[in-house]
Amino acid sequence: MTEPILEVKNLTTSFSTDEGELIAVDDVSFTIDRGEIFGIVGESGSGKSVTALSILQLIDSTGQIDADEILFDGEDLLSASDEEIRQIRGSKMGMIFQNPSTSLNPVLTVGEQIAEVVRHHGDVDESDSFWREMGRKYVTGTSTQSPSWKRAVSLLEKVGIPAPEERAKDYPHQLSGGMKQRAMIAQALAADPELIIADEPTTALDVTIEAQILAELENLREEFDVSIIFITHDLGVIREICDNVTVMYAGEVMEAGDVRTIIEDPWHPYTQDLIACIPRLSDDREWLTVSEGNVPSLVNKEPGCPYRYRCDYEFGECTTESEKFAGSSANHQVKCHLHDPEHDEQLATMERESGLYDSQSTDSIDGGVSQ
Amino acid sequence: MGLRGYVLKRIAHALLVVYLVTTVLFIGIRSVPGDPAVLILGRDADPAAMQELRESLGLNEPIYVQYVRWMSGIMRGDFGNSLFTNQPVTDTIFGLVEPTISIAIVAMIIAIFIAIPAGIISAVRQYSIEDDIVTFVSFIGLSQPSFFTGILLLLIFAGHFQLLPAFGYNPISEGILPWLSSIILPATAAGISSGAVLMRMVRSSMLDVLNEDYMRTAEAKGLDKNLILFKHGLQNALIPVLTLGGLLFGALLGGTVTLEIVFGINGIGRLVIQSISRRDFPVIQGVVIIIAFVFVMLNLVVDLLYTAINPKIRY
Repeated sequence: MTEPILEVKNLTTSFSTDEGELIAVDDVSFTIDRGEIFGIVGESGSGKSVTALSILQLIDSTGQIDADEILFDGEDLLSASDEEIRQIRGSKMGMIFQNPSTSLNPVLTVGEQIAEVVRHHGDVDESDSFWREMGRKYVTGTSTQSPSWKRAVSLLEKVGIPAPEERAKDYPHQLSGGMKQRAMIAQALAADPELIIADEPTTALDVTIEAQILAELENLREEFDVSIIFITHDLGVIREICDNVTVMYAGEVMEAGDVRTIIEDPWHPYTQDLIACIPRLSDDREWLTVSEGNVPSLVNKEPGCPYRYRCDYEFGECTTESEKFAGSSANHQVKCHLHDPEHDEQLATMERESGLYDSQSTDSIDGGVSQ
Repeated sequence: MGLRGYVLKRIAHALLVVYLVTTVLFIGIRSVPGDPAVLILGRDADPAAMQELRESLGLNEPIYVQYVRWMSGIMRGDFGNSLFTNQPVTDTIFGLVEPTISIAIVAMIIAIFIAIPAGIISAVRQYSIEDDIVTFVSFIGLSQPSFFTGILLLLIFAGHFQLLPAFGYNPISEGILPWLSSIILPATAAGISSGAVLMRMVRSSMLDVLNEDYMRTAEAKGLDKNLILFKHGLQNALIPVLTLGGLLFGALLGGTVTLEIVFGINGIGRLVIQSISRRDFPVIQGVVIIIAFVFVMLNLVVDLLYTAINPKIRY
């Protein structure tokens, strides 16, 4: 097997705030293979976005990124200079953001926003010096005959935008939400990246458009042989397109493994709760299950499992840091004392008593995203 | 509707606004205590002479008669004569428009050249030494009345260094250099005040823009810092600045009375004050018509400029 495209080892990202140090990402590790779609799932404030932004060092200046290694395509990003990072951003690694309406620049045409990436990173013979770009922006405009513009149009066509020559000349507000997200994808693809980070790319879209965008991303994986990090709070979407998934809570990895294993046999109570929240077609529940409570404050975090405040199985050991326990399949890890072999018996008793999760682990999930 | 239709509609609106403003003023100014005849002849003058003067100035007639006569004059381009000098109002005003407009334009240019670079620097380097200095200086500019800045400039450049004339206005027809040297000091004084206000706006607007998602997108595309700032940020940041700029320019066009007095320049501002204290009704009315019209037109120009910098706005 070839070497993985991205290896993140023990990433911790913290921000200094007035109240103290905020640990947004706490000792997170994962590996992404080439051509893989890798999911990161968790609720708001779980640190999934910051994890992604930390890879490209796109966090605020108050943030501090620490890791043993972030190996991208064999190169350690942590020891790379700012200039080297800039060369990787947008070229070998593209990003798609959550809200296409605010993530595209309102005063630049869609075509120009893609074309500038082509000029900056691609192999077109057009200057992208500061003054040439300013001239294009404020004086001449970008010629529709230029190679970068033509490439922008063909990218728009590739991501399924009809009449791409016309749409390229449009400003973002003239496009629908789905079109805008497609344009974002085209922009991320502009320099032929090896990895695309999609940060909640479908959260701001309605379900039918969401399904289209997901299909588009899977399509691109095939066509461009690109790896994708897919960040979402929706396990249904994860099941739809991801190969492997990492479940995050309060900045920590709770459970990781291949998607099928985790959906069918979730170990961590948090993952179980997340799955219980997904509506199913076979539901006869009058109310969907809700996990009570909120993510604990990440400032001055107490040691131990961050989920214990909401966890049905909480017991004495939970206030101490848990190790990661590997599952039967090599590709399944969980960070929960319940899965400490020493506590096997306790787990069995608890599950028998609650009976809550027995049915779900065998049931498949029919809900989530329409196919 | 198209741009043409929009502009025509706005001009029609402008005329309506100007009409309403002047009508309210026409009635209002006559309700204020103070009789022009008394002011012209003096308090102790012969009542018969006063009556005669009122008669000849047409002040004795009912207000609606005066109003209709005045309006019909305006339709013919006749704004009436000054009660004091008996000069046609149009002549009186047009001689004074040039210095006021000259000062306003030069002051605005100075304000923009101060505000935009300073605002950008202090936004980009928020909380740095540069930001502190710019903020401190701008607060001086904000809190110091422009006539005081004017006096300081006068003392330094006309008094101490004797580089520039201290007094009066040279029309542009006498040459660019004499013209500029006569207005550069008042324009700078006005420009510093307006520039300080504008700079605060550029700073806060730029700070907002720097936090926008699309700026992060530009960063994620690996673009150069300056390019991100000036290609992706600047135009967005200038959208609210334009609104304020239009208002400030309008205020400058209304005349900066204190500066005109400090620099001995006969401009619109001085004329307004003078004619109000004399109850010179036709002149006040004429000036207000001009100022109101310019103000409304300026707003139209600002709205049209929006279409150039904000693609979301199309008429």
